[in-house]
Amino acid sequence: MTTELLIEQVSKAFPGVQALNNVNLTLTGGTVHALLGENGAGKSTLIKIITGVYRADSGALKANGQEHFFESPIEATRAGIAVVHQERNLIPDFSVEENITLHNPPLKYGIVDRSERTRLAKQALSTIGFDIDPKERVKNLSVAQMQLVEIAKALVTKAQIILLDEPTASITNTETVKLFEIIKLLSSQGTAILFVSHKLEEVYQICDTVTVLRDGESVLESKPLADYKQDEIVDLMVGRHLADRKIRIRDIDRTGQPAMELKDVRTALGHETISMSLYPGEVLGMYGLVGAGRSELARSILGLYAITQGEILLSGKEVKIKNMGDALHRHRIGYVTENRKEEGLFLDFSVGQNISSTILARILDKLGVINRDKEAEIATKFVDRLGIKIVDNHQLAETLSGGNQQKVSVAKWLAAETNILIIDEPTVGVDVRTKAAFHELIMELADEGLSIILISSDLPEVIAISDRIMVMNDYAVVGELENTKDYPSISRSIMALIHSA
Amino acid sequence: MNLKSFLRHRMTEASLTLIFILGFLALVATSQGVLLSEESLQSFFTYLAIPILIGMAQMVVLAVGQMNLAVGAMGGVSSAVMAVLMADHKFPIWAGLLVGFLSALAMGAINGALVVVTQLNGFIITLGTMTILLGFQYRLVRTFTIDQYPTSLSDFGTKSIGPVPYILLISLAVSVLLSLYFTRTGSGRRVLATGGNPLAARLSGISNARSVFIAHTLSGALVGAASIITIASLSGINRSIGGDWMLSSFAAPIIGGVLMAGGTIAVYGTVIAAGVIRLVDIARAQYSLDPSIVSFTVGVVVLSTVALSEWRRRGSERQHVGRKVSA
Amino acid sequence: MKLTRKITSILSDQRVVLSIITLALFLFFGLKNKAFFSADFVLFPLLRDAATITVVGLAQLCALSIGHLNLAVGRMAAVSAMATGYSYQYLGFSLPLGVLVGLITGALLGALTGWIVVKSQVNAFIVTLAMDFALLGFVTFIYVTFTPAAAFTTKPAGMDFWRNTSLAQYCIAGVCGPKIFPMMIFPMIVALLLVGFMYGKTRLGRELLLTGSNLRAAKLSGIPVDRRVITAHIFSGTLAGLAGVMLGFTNGSFSAAIGSEFMLPSFLGPVLGGTLLTGGSVAVFGTMMGTLLTLVIRQGLSVQGIGLETLNIALGLVLLLALSLGQIQKMFTSIRSRGRT
Repeated sequence: MTTELLIEQVSKAFPGVQALNNVNLTLTGGTVHALLGENGAGKSTLIKIITGVYRADSGALKANGQEHFFESPIEATRAGIAVVHQERNLIPDFSVEENITLHNPPLKYGIVDRSERTRLAKQALSTIGFDIDPKERVKNLSVAQMQLVEIAKALVTKAQIILLDEPTASITNTETVKLFEIIKLLSSQGTAILFVSHKLEEVYQICDTVTVLRDGESVLESKPLADYKQDEIVDLMVGRHLADRKIRIRDIDRTGQPAMELKDVRTALGHETISMSLYPGEVLGMYGLVGAGRSELARSILGLYAITQGEILLSGKEVKIKNMGDALHRHRIGYVTENRKEEGLFLDFSVGQNISSTILARILDKLGVINRDKEAEIATKFVDRLGIKIVDNHQLAETLSGGNQQKVSVAKWLAAETNILIIDEPTVGVDVRTKAAFHELIMELADEGLSIILISSDLPEVIAISDRIMVMNDYAVVGELENTKDYPSISRSIMALIHSA
Repeated sequence: MNLKSFLRHRMTEASLTLIFILGFLALVATSQGVLLSEESLQSFFTYLAIPILIGMAQMVVLAVGQMNLAVGAMGGVSSAVMAVLMADHKFPIWAGLLVGFLSALAMGAINGALVVVTQLNGFIITLGTMTILLGFQYRLVRTFTIDQYPTSLSDFGTKSIGPVPYILLISLAVSVLLSLYFTRTGSGRRVLATGGNPLAARLSGISNARSVFIAHTLSGALVGAASIITIASLSGINRSIGGDWMLSSFAAPIIGGVLMAGGTIAVYGTVIAAGVIRLVDIARAQYSLDPSIVSFTVGVVVLSTVALSEWRRRGSERQHVGRKVSA
Repeated sequence: MKLTRKITSILSDQRVVLSIITLALFLFFGLKNKAFFSADFVLFPLLRDAATITVVGLAQLCALSIGHLNLAVGRMAAVSAMATGYSYQYLGFSLPLGVLVGLITGALLGALTGWIVVKSQVNAFIVTLAMDFALLGFVTFIYVTFTPAAAFTTKPAGMDFWRNTSLAQYCIAGVCGPKIFPMMIFPMIVALLLVGFMYGKTRLGRELLLTGSNLRAAKLSGIPVDRRVITAHIFSGTLAGLAGVMLGFTNGSFSAAIGSEFMLPSFLGPVLGGTLLTGGSVAVFGTMMGTLLTLVIRQGLSVQGIGLETLNIALGLVLLLALSLGQIQKMFTSIRSRGRT
């Protein structure tokens, strides 16, 4: 019997957003199935429903003839479904062999049978041809090695269906080649594999069939990948709304003094001689794969990590930025973080208090007392400007939807009225409409004279709004392009830059 | 495992062992060998038995990222239960000790259940149960000292093989069992997995709630064992029992290399750290210094060990942020 | 409809609930036993204790506001009181100057603690626990070595006034203050007002709370979080010092026992009042109400002739119960708000 996983008409809603809407997917043994979609299209929600982390609101899931949703991750595991997560789901202090057998450790009278454990682990490791000491502690491994350990772990649970969630996001090219050999091997043995990735080249290398999600809907359902060209897939992923959108080429005056300039900067994190310039009113896209060192560069500029060599110039003057407070108050640079819940917002504070958190110094009366009227006034101004949907300024940030939360964390920095704004992955987990509004907003802000560095792993996004694109790979700048906003040619040039490096 | 990787994993324990040996030798030398007399050695070991067990009681909850502020109060109540049953209700020794032990176990289980059910921080829960238990302890012993229990019990407390008292052997045996539990049994590994990465543990089908409950219950059992040793080694039980356990229960495991964040245990490290603290106490007596010096020293030592280990950890973590140089 | 909603919103305010419970218990104990209403023997000492314990609670609240704990509140109080006592006995300082010495000592201890936390990045729990160990040794050592009676007993001029005087001695146009209010409530009121003002109105207070709510976000918003962590511990130490000096005044002498009973009450007040252990939210007035509630229970039971042991049991139960209620309430509100959006 061939292994089969059927997803039929699955829907799932979260407060304020319909994450999945009647999605269908058929996964068969012996094939590698690509699940594609932009950030926020619903891929991770779908995976979490398959693995029993979330419950679907409606629809059906059939795995190996049984028809029901899984109540918990362990139930999914018992049904032969394993998932290799983006996050590291291993116990750092445990050995490789123990992590591999964690689901079901071999026991004799409640005592761990160590020789059996080693045997099982070695067997799984040799199946995928991964040569490592099974007694090594996981915390000493590289990310790629940890991923292979997770795959070995999936094999031990006799998984017939393996979900790989962005497995190549943070591993090197050689490691990717190795991983693909393993995937092909497993597939030839009859395992069904769902491969989630952003990198279309890789998808074409390894996948047989494809499902594309867009805005929570399956716009392409389990079709042979060979029938579609890369451009067609991209169109399906981004949808006509982006393709149809007016392309606006902005004129940037690059004759004057750059707002920010880096000259041969090296950082404590390992960036090599980075040079770049950002002109007033310009949107500089910073593109690269995950792990290329973009956010790390931004944080080094802001003084969170040390600059070991080279110089930073703001409007022609050399500066030393000591910390975020220095960056904000003295040098007028803002930073919208990628991770809004952990680093951007104060969830148990009101929207107004979140917005005012960067400008407390400006709204003071005597004795350091915060002027509540001024605070409310500024909050209202930016709530209106960004169209944040709230009951009133006193609503807590945690009660907002993802898109509105992201708007609040942008509002916080707009309120600060900085000259330069670094925006890190602004539209992760945001629905398509909000995303388009964000793109408009970013360009409008630049029109008003704000200089913006846009860090994004979303290629269509970078191409849609940047004036220039700087491409990074492995903690170095590998090239810079004037953006013609012609997606096919620019995306090809960018990929060529990354791969030639 | 070769010597180098052994030392890398066991850095804290190896250096503590060295400190213990050097400190012991220094004290022997400066006391003109008095410390080596059977009497001195016996007293050295006798007062080591309890710190080891209460250190273990704290270690098992630290292993799941929790803490137990009530160790002292639990010890006070369970030893009072034992004493009252044997002295006032004429329970036979075994029955008195058993009921007292079970009461400590039950207190641990209640802590665990409360933490799991209310989802509140273990700190505040055990702060609450500590207060309640102190009330019970006082109610049981009032201002008296209960010493009317069979003398055979305190005789047992003084028995020894050579200079090594039985009660220390019991402590060490419990430590060995605990070590086996955490390294060898499925249950022990699951508890540690919860402490190491609760999310991964959950996705692997481990019940974190059960792990937390087990850790607290086990903590109760270890306090129960400490109470048995307390009643055997002291001539009477009063309301001061357990009063100074809380601070030292944290000192031994933390000096021994257990992380507050959970996921680690260090049975040998905790034992040897308790030994080092005992040496400080001996040194204090030898130079006739005020007892307050001991707590001062222990405080400073705890601070410097955690600070050092944190610096080391951050050093190694820094290698993980930033560029990964591929081979 | 509107009225019921208004009532529900008033009743969901923890401070109102606390006040009602406290008042009800106060009346209950008084009606059961008239002796409870005795100004001299019950109410005056009760309020005098409440003043000191509230200040201890505020010391803990400052640490809680950034999501830290201060297990060394008691010992910081002890060291500060010792410094004050020393300055009276050996340096012949006047009363206010001695108090200042105590406050500065507390501030320095807090600064040291905060500095260690920031520099070592070690959990504040462990740092203050170790601090407690170290200071315990230090205090005992000093008293045993330098004082004949293990206490500093010199009373500066004016100390008895602060200990024993009530507002009854102050009359304006023939109307005298109530006899139950001790002078000791003034330092408490000043502390309450200052702390309340800081957290409620000022930039500094807001920055402390933002740091407690989300340290990384605060740092990335340009708030100097390391300095704020140290600031919070300085406030915590200073208030602990004030409480230590107040207890020394109440006792009439300065000994190592000062502060040894502070740890539990320091948490009871703020937590019952609605301060979060995770940081980011404080209840300044609630801390006083929480403290009053615990003291009314304590005194009420002891007037009924119920011993210390039951008091502890009752207090522990109150703490656990209040926390579980808070948790249940939180679950309900989160369900409600989920339903709304």
